[in-house]
Parts: sequence; C-alpha cells; structure tokens
Amino acid sequence: MCLLRTLILALVGAASIHSAAPPDGVGGHWAFKGPVRPALPTMPHHASQIVNPIDAFILARMQQEGLLPSPEADHYTLIRRVSLDLTGLPPSIAEVEAFVNDSRPDAYALLVERLLDSPRHGERWARWWLDVARYADSNGYSIDAPRAIWLYRDWVIHAMNRDLPFDQFVIEQLAGDMLPNATAEQKIATGFHRNTQINQEGGIDGEQFRVESVVDRLATTGTAFLGLTIACAQCHDHKFDPIAQKEYYRLFAFFNNQDEPRLEMANPKLDHAALDAERDALTLELKEHLNDAAARIEKEENGLTPGAIERQSRPVKEALKVQSDKRTFKQRRVVYLALGGNDQEFKAKEERLSEVENGTARLISTLVMEERKEPRETHVHIKGDFTRNGDKVTPGVPAALHPIRPTRAETTSQSPDEKAGQALDRSVSPDSGLNRLDFARWIASPENPLLARVIVNRVWQQYFGKGIVQTENDFGTQGLPPSHPELLDWLAVEFMENGWSLKDLHRLIVGSSTYRQSSAARPDLASKDPSNSQLARQNRLRLDAELVRDVALRASGLLTDAIGGPSVHPPQPDGVMSLGQVKREWKADATENRYRRGMYTFFFRATPHPALAVFDAPDSFSACSRRLRSNTPLQSLTLLNDEAFFEFAQGLADRVLREAPGTDSDRLKHAFRLCLSRPPQPDELTSLQTLLDTEREELGMNSGNKGCWLTIARVLLNLDETITRE
Amino acid sequence: MTPQNSNPLQDQTRRQFFGRCGMGLGSIALASLLSENRLNAAPDPRFQNPLAPRQPHLAPKAKNIIYMFMAGGPSQLELFDYKPKLAELNGQPIPQSFIEGKRFAFMDSSHGIKLLGSRRSFKQHGQNGMWVSDLFPNIATVTDDAAFVMTCATNLFNHAPAKLFMNTGSGLFGRPSMGAWVTYGIGSEANDLPGFVVLQSGPRGPRGGSVNWGSGFLPTTFQGVPFRGTGEPILNLTSPETIDAARQRRTLDTIRDLNLKRLVDTGDPEITTRIASYEMAFKMQSSAPELIDLSGESEATLKLYGAERGKPSYASNCLLARRLVERGVRFVQLYHANWDSHGGPGENLEDDLPKVCREVDQGSAALVKDLKARGLLDDTLVIWGGEFGRTPMGENREKTGRNHHIDAFTMWFAGGGTNPGAIIGQTDELGFSPSKDRCHVHDIHATILHLLGLEHTALTFRFQGRDFRLTDVEGNLIPGLIA
Repeated sequence: MCLLRTLILALVGAASIHSAAPPDGVGGHWAFKGPVRPALPTMPHHASQIVNPIDAFILARMQQEGLLPSPEADHYTLIRRVSLDLTGLPPSIAEVEAFVNDSRPDAYALLVERLLDSPRHGERWARWWLDVARYADSNGYSIDAPRAIWLYRDWVIHAMNRDLPFDQFVIEQLAGDMLPNATAEQKIATGFHRNTQINQEGGIDGEQFRVESVVDRLATTGTAFLGLTIACAQCHDHKFDPIAQKEYYRLFAFFNNQDEPRLEMANPKLDHAALDAERDALTLELKEHLNDAAARIEKEENGLTPGAIERQSRPVKEALKVQSDKRTFKQRRVVYLALGGNDQEFKAKEERLSEVENGTARLISTLVMEERKEPRETHVHIKGDFTRNGDKVTPGVPAALHPIRPTRAETTSQSPDEKAGQALDRSVSPDSGLNRLDFARWIASPENPLLARVIVNRVWQQYFGKGIVQTENDFGTQGLPPSHPELLDWLAVEFMENGWSLKDLHRLIVGSSTYRQSSAARPDLASKDPSNSQLARQNRLRLDAELVRDVALRASGLLTDAIGGPSVHPPQPDGVMSLGQVKREWKADATENRYRRGMYTFFFRATPHPALAVFDAPDSFSACSRRLRSNTPLQSLTLLNDEAFFEFAQGLADRVLREAPGTDSDRLKHAFRLCLSRPPQPDELTSLQTLLDTEREELGMNSGNKGCWLTIARVLLNLDETITRE
Repeated sequence: MTPQNSNPLQDQTRRQFFGRCGMGLGSIALASLLSENRLNAAPDPRFQNPLAPRQPHLAPKAKNIIYMFMAGGPSQLELFDYKPKLAELNGQPIPQSFIEGKRFAFMDSSHGIKLLGSRRSFKQHGQNGMWVSDLFPNIATVTDDAAFVMTCATNLFNHAPAKLFMNTGSGLFGRPSMGAWVTYGIGSEANDLPGFVVLQSGPRGPRGGSVNWGSGFLPTTFQGVPFRGTGEPILNLTSPETIDAARQRRTLDTIRDLNLKRLVDTGDPEITTRIASYEMAFKMQSSAPELIDLSGESEATLKLYGAERGKPSYASNCLLARRLVERGVRFVQLYHANWDSHGGPGENLEDDLPKVCREVDQGSAALVKDLKARGLLDDTLVIWGGEFGRTPMGENREKTGRNHHIDAFTMWFAGGGTNPGAIIGQTDELGFSPSKDRCHVHDIHATILHLLGLEHTALTFRFQGRDFRLTDVEGNLIPGLIA
C-alpha cells in the first residue's frame, strides 16, 4: 500500500496525514503541474559548446555557479563510452580505428546512429526497463520454482529496438490484452505485471497472495510510471484515513479483475531430440528414485486408513486400487507424490517430465494478464485485512492527479469491428465504467504531469549516474527538487512531442556536449562542486553487473551473439543453490549458451547468480529504479577467481595469440585494446611487458607461452577501467 | 621491479606517482594505503590508509561492536516490557488519555484500537530483576551482563525507512551507516579482513538491502562487506587451480600499478577503493578460509551457541561474529528476519514469534557469555534490537499480531563500557509511551559513539557544503547506559 501512502505524503505532506480533510493545496507542488516547454537560455559566450538545448540549460547554471565545462573526451574514450551506453558492449578494435580516423564533421553522429540501429541497443535498454519490471525467471518466496516469462523480456528488447513509442509501450504492458484485436505480442507485453512473486508453499491462502500481488502491481506502477513509491517500498499494511484509503482501493480495483493465465504458442525452434533425451534421462532418474523409495512407500500405503484413502485426489485413488507391482510409471509417480513426504525435488522433476510427456514442454509459454468476464467487486479492506470487506469501491484515480476518461466509447465507435467493442464491454467494471485499459491510457496520457518527467529523468540517470531529480523514485513533496528544473521540463516536453521516442531522447542526450565531456576530476571542481551536481564534467561509472560480464566476454571473443530465448545457465560456484528451501539444480551449460550476455543468465530470486548479485544487480522482489554501485573485495574475488571469469581470461589469451602478430609489444597492445579500446600509454606497456618477462622466467618457456598470456589477460580483465564507463 | 616485493609501492613508482598526480587527498591516502609504514601522527584520517586504526577523541571503552539487528521490529511486549495492566485491559479500547496529543499517523484505521495483553509468561531474572518472557530462556540468563533500554524511540514507522533511520540516523538514502561512520572514525585493527562485515540469516535479507550498510557520502572503502546468508559465506576464495599464490601476487601487483596510473590520470577516488578492494581480496584468500572454518571450535563452544559446522544459521553467525572481532574487525552487524508480527500467515504472535525467538535466543546469549569468558566483552559492545517495536493494541488477522510502534521499544546492550544490569527508562502501564527517560535513536547513536571514544558532535564529514554527522543536529548521551 505504499503507493497510497506515497500519494498522500506527496500530496498533502506528512503533517496532515491523519487529517480527514480532503487534500488541498496539492497544485502547488512542482511535479503535479504539467511540464511546459521553457525558453532556452541565451548563452552567447558559449555558442561553440552548445550542440543542443541540453547544453544551454547546463551551461547557464554552470555560469551562475562560476564553473566552466570540461573539454570533450578523447575519441577512444568517447566511442567506448557511447558504445557501452547504447549497446552495453565495448567497440571492436576495427570500430575504434574507423571512428578515430573518421574526419567527417558528423562522424560522431553517424556512430550514434549505427549504435542505435544495432540490435544490441535493445538488449542494453531492455535491461534498464527490466529493473523496474522486477523481471526474474523464478516464482520467488521460499519455493522459488522456475518460471517461463522470457517472451516478455524478449518483447521489451524488441520494443526498444523498434523504438515503440513510449506511451504505447506503457499501454501494451498495462493492458495490451484489452486492446481491440490484441495481437499475441500485445498480450505478451502484459507479462510486465506477471513479474510478481508466486507463493507455492503448502497451506497458504491463495486469495491472500493474489491480493499481495495486486499490492505489488500498484507499487510497481507507482515506481515505474509515476515516480511515487519512495522509500516505504515494502510497508505492507499501513492503513490510511478513510478518504485516502478509499482512493487507494479505487486504484486497486483496476488491478483486481484479472485472471493470470499462461499464453502458449508453438515453438518454431524446438529441439525435439533434446526433449526426447531429457525425457529419457528424467524417466531413468525418477524410476531409480521410486525403486529406492518403494519399501517406504509400501509401508506408508499399508498404514493408510480407508478415510485417508478417501481424502486423496482421484488419480491417487485410482492408482491405489491397482496392485503396486502392476501400476504404470505415471501411477507410481502419483502415489509417490501423495505419500512420499514433501519431496520438492522429485515434484519439480515429475512436473517437468509430465510436461515433456504431454507435449506442454513442446510449446513456449509465457505469463500474461487476462481480464475476467465476471468482474470482481473491490472493497476497502478493513484494517488492510483482505478477509474483511468494508465499503465497496469503483475503479478511479486520486482526485489530485489529472482526470481519467473512459475511452471505451471512442474505441468502439472508431473500431469497425463490432466484436472488439463487445469484448470490451464485458470487461468493463461495474459502476464507474472504467477499466484497466482506461487506466493504462490515463498513465500514458500527455496530461500526466509525471510520466514523461519520470522517464526522461531515469534515462538521464543512466547516462550521468544520477537523475536531474536525484530521488528518482520520489517526485512527491518528500523528494529532492530537480537540480535543473527547466531542463527536466524541456526534455519531458520534447520527449512527448517527439512521439515518445526513446531513441530520439538517447540521440539528444548522447549528442550533447554535456554528455561528451571528459570525466577526469578537476581540482577546481573538487572544492566548488564535489558531487558534480552541475555536470561540469562527466562521471566515471562502474558498469552494471551484466555488463561487467559482457565486457569480459566480448574481449575474450567468446560472446555468443544470439538475442533472446530461454534464460541460460553459465557456470556458478558450488554452494549457491544447495541451501535454498528447495534444492535446485544448476547444471552449467556446455555449449554456446555458456557465453551469453549477462542479461540472459537464469535469475532465481532466492539464489541469484553470485556474479550478478555481487555487482549490485537488483533482487527482482520489487521494482528497482536505481542500482547502487558498491565497490567491495567480493567483487575483486569474483573477477580474479570465479570460474567464468577465469575462462574468459583463457579465451582472451588464446585470442591474442591467435589474432595478433608475433612481437610481445604488438600482442600486448592488441590485448589492451580488446579490453580498454584505447592504446596503452608507454608506462602501461612497460608494466605489462615487465610482468610478461617475469612470467616467462617463473613459469618456464615450456609450460607455454599461453601461461604468460593468461596472466596478462587476467590483469587486463581485472582493471578498474575495464569495468568502468569513463 | 620485483613482483613479490612485500612493500608494493616502489620508490620509483612513488616518485612517478606524485610527479603525475595533480589531485591532493585521495592520492595521499592511497600512498599511505600502499605503504607498510602506517603513520598515525597525521590527525586527518583522510591522509592515511583509510582503514588504519586511529585514535578516537576520548579514551575508548569499547573497541569493537557486534550489532544483532532484529529485522522487522520485535515485540517488546512479548519479550521484555512486562505489562500486567495491559493484560487486565485486554480487548478494551485504548484510553484516550494515552493517545491524546501524540503524533501517530493513521491512528483510526491502521492501528487497532483494542488493547492486546501479552499471553507470554514473564519472570524476573538476575540481580537486576529484569523481566524476561518465556520466549527467551537463554537471554534471561545474561540480564546481569546486559543493560536494557526500555524506552527507545524512533521517527519512522515503515520497515525500510525505519531500518535506514536506525542505521544511518536518517530515513533518506545517501547517508552513511553507523558501521561506515565508525570505520571512518577509528579505522579497523584487522589487516586482512574488512573493517565492517555484515552477516545475514533467516528467510531473507533486510528490507532496503545494502543501503543499510552503505557508506553514503563517505568514501566507499567504509561500506560494509556482506557475507552470504546461504551456502558458503564468501565465494571464490580459492585461486584458479593453476594459479599459485606467487603468481596471484604478481598479477595483483600489476593490476595495482595500472589502476594507480589510472587514478593519477582521472583523479577518481573510487579507484582508491578498487585498489584497496584488491589488496583486501588477496589477504582474504588466506585469512577468510581460516575465519569461516569452525573446525577449531570445541564441541562445547558449538553447543553453547547451538551452531552446527557447515550449516548457516543465526547461531553460527554469532560465533562467526566473535571470530571476526577476535581478528580485529571493528564492526560486525548480524541481520535476522522476520520479526514482523502482524498476525498474518508466517507473522503471528502465537507460533511464528516463538519460532524466530528460538532461532536467536541461544546464539545471542551465547555470544555474551562466550565474549565474557574470553575476556572480550570488556571492549566489545554488543547491541540487540530492531528498527522499531510493536503496539500495545492488537491486530487481528488470521491470528493475532501487533502493528509497528515507534514511541517505545526495547533494545539491550552488553559489554563495551555499558552499565551491566542497568534497566534504563520506563514505559507507561500499557507500554505505549515512555514515562521516564525517553531514549531516541539519535541518543543511542551518540552513546554508542561515545563508548568508542568518539564525540558524536565531532565525528563529521563535509559534504555539499555542510558538516554531516551520524546524529544530525541532535543526540544526547544516555548516562544510565554508560558504566
């Protein structure tokens, strides 16, 4: 119920929370007034530094503060920076060479276009969105069983690559299933709100966890689109004064009317042989397990009273009627599941085998939303207790925000397809006539004072390390005001007027001279603006967890190019999976899936891959709008000793020996450029050469040239600069 | 250059380094970090190895801290704050006189208004006659070593911000945690382990995650290092098979040299932390396996804690905490969830509270006893408490529970110059508000720093033009807590 509390805090301020009076004076807060395009500051003395309006706003403030901008970063830094920012991968040596030797005046702009057109761009920026979508590959809670929802992840990648207008991107994720003639893609998009946890513990109340997932959907909606969930991220049951409480439940009502089905479709790329092999292996394994447990199960069975048999499900009863040595394999499994104790490992394997046997596994499935034909009524939950209904409420939005309009009538009249209109009619909630699609359109409306600001701010944050509003998840009265309010509004209006094009926004920001500045520290700024809030230089940013992996993979030459598909299992240290409540297997992929980008690593919420967790990947339990950047010895241990990173170092050593000509110096330069894009400075080269010579002496020539180069590769992959966007 | 040289900063590198370096403080800190020669003379901590031990402002009573953080807000009314009157009035609405003029949001709807008497049985223990309920049979045996503060008060009533407040003195992101302040203030005695270590147990980590042990605006060197709560506490401690220690050292020396050059070129203090992280990682490869290997602990010790070798638990974290402070680690924080007894499934007072109490009771008490037996309790401050307490009014859901309460809750302290056996503050007869000696979080922070020899008003860091403190602009020492 965070959203509501946030709204209230934001709207009326903490002091009057307990007041029963309706919130007023709300209009005064900057974020609740729609952005208006401000005039550009005139900066005659800085004309050469103003590439686009961003620079005018930034320089105007800098001038007030008595600061001067930094020079443009050198071309090596620039191409690595913009490649990492737009695609999440460093440039190849050939790309670097081409750019630094390109004397055309629009060389940089052409580079940006190439990167925006790369399919890698969609991967990079999908991951940005997946953080707020709390995407993961498992159900969470303590059982944390795997799930398939990667089609949603792939939908986001594709949406970024085709530059789906952001308002449409919002609508399809919140209510794609309700659009007239909704396509499969639009239904897949609704996976956004299926990224909630699912509780599979025994003895739970299904309704309670359904309600919890609705609460999470509201909180996530607030964080992702309105910037209004603040730090009370997980307050699970503070209740509110009557009016506010009612407004909360009116929002709740939009999300209270869904079924949560799986969408299944044929899989064109299916490997039938692999599935057959999996079936055979599972059959063997389970049969062995059943044989081992036979005596125990027989004992259990003999102890069953008639009443106990009666209470079993029908398939179990059927199976028990059959003499134990005459039972089919399926019947033996069913009996074991009923009598074998809570054997989660067996259960997981059995479920998988059944899927393979009955053909479900031969389909791709993904989790989607579907509006119920019979709407649920929504009531205020007295004291937050879902079992105690108070007043009935209809769907609606807080009075303090822009008005919501039913768009159903328009849709019907505009659509030539009568059936679509009727389908919508059925899903209209009673009384208010508003449904989830109306809500989605309300969020994505240009009248929404928050959406465009919140999104441009989070994009900005990605490029500079912090937002124009530093409290990116709190645009309410408790948050910090924007450092550059006119710039924020200018960007927000520009974003909307450019048809909500994220690619235009990227182009604008990375094109600015503000973005292109050097990130080197300056003694004058250290005293005048230590936190660099005026952006008189760029910021050095440690790469996100997935990118730490990607950069090493790319340098090693091992990276598998495939985009999308089921999540994969790169190696991870022993002792990660073994201690969750349910022991889950992590069998490292041996083939090309071993070398996929970090964003495709299978993400178990309860036991995330340690190389991701240690570099601050979000836990996916709730929406994450900003990653922390820690810097610990555990990260060093990972890069030094982790099996995967050691393998990358071996790959890099092999690659250097394979690709570069014979002299040490040429090879060192090649290796250096694979990791850092720039050529080494003489003293850097000397350090590496000294190490190489020592390694030759220590390891002996016979143990191989390769050993020395492995050491060099490990050094380069561990450098601060390698995992930093300069 | 000799790659295995024990003094990693060669003269030549040093000259080159200062020659190229245009940036003052960070680089000087680094020079010192890389030097074996620790100079304690310079008064400004930034001029030294950031984690070198430093003299505090006053003569310290405590050297180390072990902070057992009970995530979710334990119910003081079921554990320590015995209120027969509350039981007597069970089921009645809370009298208006108790709540009049009090600030609490959402009173009408969010808190139940009916009082809930505790169903636990309470007894007095030790010389000080401290009331402890049947849920803590072991903690009840150390009441004479501990000082109980019955009247803790905080500002924020939701988990994540309240945890931040308890850890950083502010509900906003971006402030340093207490462990970061302490290691910033007095460094750490541990050469080969981080100065601030975080241990976790229970079904999940604390809400808010790593911001609870973050360094905020302090250099990242001071942030807490979280050991894993499941499986191996620290992964990747072993070098790859073909890499022996000498080769690892040579590799690290070159990584350090190149990082150093980059530091000089960019002036980014984050690289200082990166270099320190690599040095620490190398040291941990030798020190940490020994640290986490409990095979040297006697059966009697394991039994005292209720810990089992190879099985992560709160109890084994308590034992690990003792091993960490023995090795000079300055600040150890243990998190255990879930104490959020609202009454819903997994969170009721009837079954779930006793379960979480069983998980922590023995280990918490054992730690005090073990530290005492080893002579470590005198200079180790043990802290036990959550982010807030729970209301005298009940919440009825599936079963019974209580809501979050910020006006009065119990924490206890032991060793490190605290007053053994003290009972500080008193709540009204329903346990709603302090009737004597309210101890706000800022006061608790001020007192903890004082025990470490740090003046809370003098431990400051200038950020964005202002001197920040753990205690903001508040904080008074709690005299009764200090021996």
